[in-house]
Amino acid sequence: MIILEQLLNGLTIGSFYALIALGYSMVYGVMKLINFAHGDLFALGSYLGYSLLIWGAGAASQRFGLWGGMIAALLFSFFAVGCAGVLMERVAYRPVQKSGRLPLVVSALGVSIFLQNSIMAIWGPRYQAYPASVVPTHAIHLGWLHVTIMQLFILILSFMLMLTLYYIVQKTTFGAAIRATALDREMATILGVDVRKITLFIFFLGPALGGVAGVMNGMYYRQISFVMGWNYGLKAFTATILGGIGNIPAAMLGGLLLGIVEMFGAAYISSAWKDVFTFLILIIILIFRPTGLIGEKVAEKV
Amino acid sequence: MGKGRGTSKFSLLAIILLFCLYPLFSNFYWTDVAFFFGVYALLGLSLNIVLGETGLFDLGHAAFYAIGAYITAILNTLYGIPIIWLIPLSAIGAGLFAYIVTSPIIHLRGDYLCVVTIGIGEIVRLALINNPFGLTGGPNGITGVGRPSLGPFLIDSPTRFYFYVWGILVIVIICLIRLQRSRIGRAWNYLREDDIAAETSGIDVRHFKLLAFVMGAALAGVAGNIYASKLMIVSPDTFTFMESSMLFCIVMLGGLGSIPGSILGAGIITVFPEIFRIVANYRMLFFGGALVLTMIFRPGGIWPRKREALRLQVSNIDDVKGKVRGKLKAIDKSQNMKKTTSKNNSNEPNTIGNHILTTDKLTMTFGGLVAVNEFDLAVSQGKITSIIGPNGAGKTTVFNVVTGIYKPVSGRVYFEGNDITGLKPHKIAELGLARTFQNIRLFPNLTCIENVMAGLHHRMNSYVLSSIVRTESQRAEEKWALEIAMHWLEKTGLGDVHDELAKNLPYGKQKLLELARALSSSPRLLILDEPSSGLNDKETEELMVFLESLLEEQNLTILLIEHDMNVVMGISHWVVVMDMGMKIAEGTPKEIYNHPKVIEAYLGREE
Repeated sequence: MIILEQLLNGLTIGSFYALIALGYSMVYGVMKLINFAHGDLFALGSYLGYSLLIWGAGAASQRFGLWGGMIAALLFSFFAVGCAGVLMERVAYRPVQKSGRLPLVVSALGVSIFLQNSIMAIWGPRYQAYPASVVPTHAIHLGWLHVTIMQLFILILSFMLMLTLYYIVQKTTFGAAIRATALDREMATILGVDVRKITLFIFFLGPALGGVAGVMNGMYYRQISFVMGWNYGLKAFTATILGGIGNIPAAMLGGLLLGIVEMFGAAYISSAWKDVFTFLILIIILIFRPTGLIGEKVAEKV
Repeated sequence: MGKGRGTSKFSLLAIILLFCLYPLFSNFYWTDVAFFFGVYALLGLSLNIVLGETGLFDLGHAAFYAIGAYITAILNTLYGIPIIWLIPLSAIGAGLFAYIVTSPIIHLRGDYLCVVTIGIGEIVRLALINNPFGLTGGPNGITGVGRPSLGPFLIDSPTRFYFYVWGILVIVIICLIRLQRSRIGRAWNYLREDDIAAETSGIDVRHFKLLAFVMGAALAGVAGNIYASKLMIVSPDTFTFMESSMLFCIVMLGGLGSIPGSILGAGIITVFPEIFRIVANYRMLFFGGALVLTMIFRPGGIWPRKREALRLQVSNIDDVKGKVRGKLKAIDKSQNMKKTTSKNNSNEPNTIGNHILTTDKLTMTFGGLVAVNEFDLAVSQGKITSIIGPNGAGKTTVFNVVTGIYKPVSGRVYFEGNDITGLKPHKIAELGLARTFQNIRLFPNLTCIENVMAGLHHRMNSYVLSSIVRTESQRAEEKWALEIAMHWLEKTGLGDVHDELAKNLPYGKQKLLELARALSSSPRLLILDEPSSGLNDKETEELMVFLESLLEEQNLTILLIEHDMNVVMGISHWVVVMDMGMKIAEGTPKEIYNHPKVIEAYLGREE
């Protein structure tokens, strides 16, 4: 049963990674950019949710109850971080895009440094903690299995979000347009796809999902810090590559897989070396399958 | 010219003087800032080799810096080896480490390489924290690293450290400038611009990518050594992903591949936070914003590299031409001698003896698609052979298999009797097979003469050390290469634009430049993929005359893909027709002209 619990813990962390990874993957799809600022948007989401719950603790939690407060924080973070993402694209990426990929990478690093230090300037350099009173803390027991309400909530919400996104991307016309843009931006434009609209959508939704992951992460671990963006960003980004970058279902799978691998690595190998194993796995996969686990092999046109 | 040199010499002298006097006018604090400026300049230059010159995304460069610092710290504290001796050891250690970790991943491209280097950076940092074998001191690192001393002269004060690091830097800069303007530097630039074109021009891409990593890492290792002896402590906190990103920004801020740019970038990174120290909490916030703004307004960096003109130091160009012709003749003679021994004196175009290139049941598939199907080709020595066929017939794929870009699924390729199947493209180029591409593949940001010199790369020998020392033979070789490149530029009518960047040429001239690059390698078989596409009638006519003249003059064989029937029928001695990956007919142009299968392939069957 320990194994099952570990699997559940791994899935919980994995769903954070998956939600963040989606943002990396979607942005990479439309812009061929590794958005290094994405992890910091996740951290921003976490802090925004925290502030809403603290400042509005009287208002939100008491008027709408525990769940009402949580949902308010999630929604607020979703929209606020989504808007921050759109703003980021408009200010830092769109003007640089024509100059090629390397300047874009530097611009992304710049945004990342800017966001991280903004968070530090606003909320201070020390750890902050989500108060225990704003999140459910009890657990349920299913036979031997021990699951917290929070874990269940995170798993359900994450899977709902991912399924919705999967549906949009794979089953709707708009989703087909997104996939077409990811495959060949120029050709999609010629065929009448409104690439601007798709870019806007991607830069809203990707960060918004990261924002939600940030709030859930805060509720789960309670402790948040301004540098968490780098750590989670790096992991989620690893997950994206693990699955196959630019491919949305692959990012989800990569995230969940990474969470599970990490949990079992920590439990059965060594918790100090678990991150080393994570990166080793990444490198080994890239050596043998450079396009990730699900990514298709594309022959280069000479 | 003389005057310009004078002023630049004067300003250089002024800068040196300023640097020497700086510590007199500054306090220890600002002398230390200038010291760290020097360390970051070293690091920036080391990453510039990898990222700037060679175009490899390296976002884990701090790992090599860390290896150098830890080698110094461990060997100095455990065995008391003097810091100065540890400089070469740190360089070798970091270089060796880079060789070992990048060998298996060097084939990855762009973003994937970037991800793997981030991974390597993190693995190194985490390993240092985890204190393997009790060597690295865990999260707190190693304390008590000694000071360097030059003979009896101990380097301990900020001023001494300042002169120490900038002294090393000056040596490094001189070496790097010499390297940049040599066969090695050009090879790095070729593969940054277009690695497939570089490989088919005869440059061992894998080797030069690894060389860039090893040299970049070695230089970062030296920086690590200096850093460790200055702080007297090393800890994993220094070597984070953030540090690697900063180094990345140094190179990009200054300008890709620019030596003064990287130094300037290092200056910005170190001095900027000091100036904004008053607003302590916001300084990095400003810095992030400044990075974005720089990329918006100066995406090429603040001090980008300008390609220097490579001029021949000869007054009379005809003089050069005469000399070159003599040299080329000598080369041809030696090749002819080789050939006459194996030559089968027969005029029949498809007897085995005088086929320079043959393929045997060559097959290539992409997924389920059979692009080339058991294709047999025989190219006669000293003749022009054309491959024609409808679009998608597999013609270019045949070229790509023959030149080694693709490995065939089955079948063999023989060049001058040797089996070259599956050899790497640069090996095949060395054997005497040069090509052009259907969609021109030049090195857009290099000058025309540098483009042509790519073809000469594999005929030259100078390497890192001889390029830095500028040995007699290295200089002679450079001069020789310049002359030959100039000769081919003149021949293709591009002599006047030899210092122009390739990307600024009009389409027709770009095609000629690609041809000049292929010819400069003095090939015995020239493979041209649609040489006349995009040219007007007059240009096509000139090209045909030129190609025919090459057969005689250069003792060349030509194989081409062509859609223009006037060209095909006008200059070919032998025509091979392909459809659906198979050979459907071959013969003299006349025979092909009326061949029923050919007419069917092009116009469809008559019902």
